[in-house]
Amino acid sequence: MGRKYTNLELMAICGARLIWDDAVVLAGTGMPVLCAMLAQKTRAPNAKIVYEGGNIDTRNKDLPLSVSDPRLMHEAAAALDMRSALGELLQGGYIDIGFLGGAQVDKYGNINSTAIGRYNRPKVRLVGSGGANDIASLANHTFIITKHEARKLHSCDYLTSPGHLHGGDSRAKAGLLGEGPKYIITDLCIFDFHPKSKKARIMSLHPGVRKKDVLKNMSWRPIVPRKIAETKKPTDRELKILRTQVDPKGLYLG
Amino acid sequence: MPKKITLKEAAEMIPNWSMVFIGGFAHVRACMAFSRELIRQEKHDLHFISSGPTLHVDLLAAGKVIKRMEVGYSGIETIGPGPNVRRRIEERFLKVEDYTNFTMAMRLYGGALGVPFMPVKSILGSDIEVKSSFKDIRQKLSVVECPFTGEIVCLVPSVNPDFGVIQVQRCDEEGNVQIDDVTTTDVDGLKASDVKIVLAEEIVPTARIRRDPARTCVPGLMVDYIVECPWGAWPTAMFNFYDYDQEHIEFYADLCKTEEGWEKYKEEWVMPSEEEIMKKLGARGMEKLKAKKGLGY
Repeated sequence: MGRKYTNLELMAICGARLIWDDAVVLAGTGMPVLCAMLAQKTRAPNAKIVYEGGNIDTRNKDLPLSVSDPRLMHEAAAALDMRSALGELLQGGYIDIGFLGGAQVDKYGNINSTAIGRYNRPKVRLVGSGGANDIASLANHTFIITKHEARKLHSCDYLTSPGHLHGGDSRAKAGLLGEGPKYIITDLCIFDFHPKSKKARIMSLHPGVRKKDVLKNMSWRPIVPRKIAETKKPTDRELKILRTQVDPKGLYLG
Repeated sequence: MPKKITLKEAAEMIPNWSMVFIGGFAHVRACMAFSRELIRQEKHDLHFISSGPTLHVDLLAAGKVIKRMEVGYSGIETIGPGPNVRRRIEERFLKVEDYTNFTMAMRLYGGALGVPFMPVKSILGSDIEVKSSFKDIRQKLSVVECPFTGEIVCLVPSVNPDFGVIQVQRCDEEGNVQIDDVTTTDVDGLKASDVKIVLAEEIVPTARIRRDPARTCVPGLMVDYIVECPWGAWPTAMFNFYDYDQEHIEFYADLCKTEEGWEKYKEEWVMPSEEEIMKKLGARGMEKLKAKKGLGY
């Protein structure tokens, strides 16, 4: 124990730990892929990973750089198409966890990945929804992972992917499926959501992180309970598997 | 029987201002050679349709070939927003109508089926539902109550591009298409398009296709033109043929951060003929990317 780790490694490990065994996970580009693969190799060996390009139940040995990568063909259960992955599997109700990143995440877990500034005259144009709106709309649960920065934990200039919308029961009323965001995982803490108001609430602080570090580095105010648990440190095993089996070349964490 | 033509002839067929589906999703099977040829032929004002295009849409935006696009995504995956798409949108040259990957897939499937719209349950409650760019919002989508169950659904209009172009592993002289990896939205996109053009790494005897008909994803009787186009997806991947060239993709993304960088890239890696570009990549470069047996990449 006591091995050194980076904030990114801790974040990836936290994301992986929250994936339960047997879960079917649809992972978006970047950190979510890393979390899902790490989960499969640690606590959730029976988790299955689905990619929107059509790779289903993958067992890739090399880390993919995109959500449609020839590496995802290796020992996959099926190679289908996007309509099957996002339509039949996702909209059809088979995805337990949709795992997403985003440029701006607000207090109800709504995500912007489209534009910073005004939509039709953006200051910065981003990538757009991709499959994220579909995943956030249709998965049974959504996990969100993002660096803990004031510009990222910020109200959405454009609401690309729906979380709990305006809180309360507004999500169900809009006709969306699933229960919406379950966690926001950052490099400082993990948020869950208040069962009624659906507002983000600090669930655990990472080792050595204080409440004020969390609050200072974000643009909205979460629910702050009186007593907050501390996130468990990464174990040697988690770090070893992450470094030697999941991302040995440091493509994501390097 | 489809007509066998050259890459140059295929691009020559596309009139300016037409609507095109050009295949490729994330890091696989992007129509790169075809996109380079459109730039060499100085095509302009194309209306681009796709789900999640990456490198080819960035090239087409850079070369000012496309003026409008309806897509779910445009970026270079882990690298983030494509530098040229981003610049063309921010300078207000390129207009983008934002859908999602799933809803673009459904719009193309609807087009292939010959029905006017498809119902989906995503988009609801988001800004994609209420904001539009160059389309009237009433033409972009419609949120209605299902006449049978009363639940809320979003209707997205089917789309029938004038031309559909995809890059695949193989076809035969009869135009029967086989893809060895995920078909993403390429098959729906091709089938939805009026004129269907297939670019194949290799054109094989029909007997080989007919030995394994379950792998055929587009029957030749639907296909209009075929083109033999080896290495046509480079620097993206062609499963069982070659891996993506991440080094080149990163070189491109880095260089294209400025307009001058793009001009330089264009002179070196777009304007020469495909044969010359492959010569620049070199035998060693190609050897490095060639798919390994048992892995396919």
